[in-house]
Amino acid sequence: MRNKLGSNFEQILEENKHKIYRICRIYAATPIEPEDLFQEVIFQIWKSLPNFKGKSSIDTWVYKIAINVCLRSKMKFEKSNNKTERLDAIHFTPVTELIDHFEEEKYKYLKECIATLNESDTSIIVLYLDELSYKEIAEITGLSENHIAVKMKRIRNKLFECITPKMN
Amino acid sequence: MLEQELKNIWKNSSKTARISIETDRLVQEFDTNITNIQKKIRKRDVREISASVFGILIFSFLAYEIPFPITKFSCLLSILWFAYVIYKFRKSNQQNSSEKLSLPLKEQLTHKKQLLQQQLKLLNSTGYWYAGPSFITNFIFIIGLRNPADYNWTNQIAENLLPLTVNAKVGTIIGLGIFYLLVIWVHKIAAKKDVHPILKSIEAIQQQIKNE
Repeated sequence: MRNKLGSNFEQILEENKHKIYRICRIYAATPIEPEDLFQEVIFQIWKSLPNFKGKSSIDTWVYKIAINVCLRSKMKFEKSNNKTERLDAIHFTPVTELIDHFEEEKYKYLKECIATLNESDTSIIVLYLDELSYKEIAEITGLSENHIAVKMKRIRNKLFECITPKMN
Repeated sequence: MLEQELKNIWKNSSKTARISIETDRLVQEFDTNITNIQKKIRKRDVREISASVFGILIFSFLAYEIPFPITKFSCLLSILWFAYVIYKFRKSNQQNSSEKLSLPLKEQLTHKKQLLQQQLKLLNSTGYWYAGPSFITNFIFIIGLRNPADYNWTNQIAENLLPLTVNAKVGTIIGLGIFYLLVIWVHKIAAKKDVHPILKSIEAIQQQIKNE
């Protein structure tokens, strides 16, 4: 049982680590680093895994935990500046040789524009940018598909208004 | 075009770091973490409960030893109160540890809000369930103290410790009153500083979610 859980966990991490990291990069705010948030998300995945009933897909389940943990961290940060103790089993190696500085600049603009959105819209846009369907976003956020569609129209406009001048 | 470009920028944003995870080691570290968390929780429970257990033992002894009926009665009330405090702490700790992070965002916020509201209620009502009853039982205890000689009771330690004169009784009651007011104030501050801001943030996000 423990072994099966371990191998499932390994598979979940392997398949989802990049999407988790992307979300963590958006929500992390000094002194909390994306790496701290990433660690917390996978810790919560590990803790919650035995209770995973398979009612939703594992991807959707991981997104729910990632969004909830990141949002929780943001709210907790206001009252505490505690720094997380880093685990030795996770290594982040910067990929300097592959960095496209032009691409990095564009990401910076995207991040700045996402930062202008409120928490609810941020959680929706990060899921949308990850190319999730409205149905999946609705499942993760607990809203209806129609509600997501209406919100997305407004969020998209706001995001484009912010980013288009920067990109040009 | 811009939309797809943004999605590509987004997708590529995680390529700035190579993430490698040693799962076996990670699982070990998590297990250690969970054990440490459980140890901390156990320590906290023991700390909170031991004060009440100590109180129960002291007041049981006093109820047995002291001959004054009203004071005896107050000791029994104190024992009941300590038992209630143990129950209240345990219930609150169980509720606070029931975070459900795999729920959809909207439900998770509702769940978290309920937990925080309970916490807020607990902190703001300290006067009713903690300080008030405790002060009343202490008050009855002190008022019930009589002249030991009238009851043929001799206990040097108790006689030296208990406020038997009117002045000592008044002084102790005032001191206790100030102490319990301080307790209420500290809890109100904790509610205002720690719980209220998070509750407000949750309500703000819930409102954002509701808006179209």
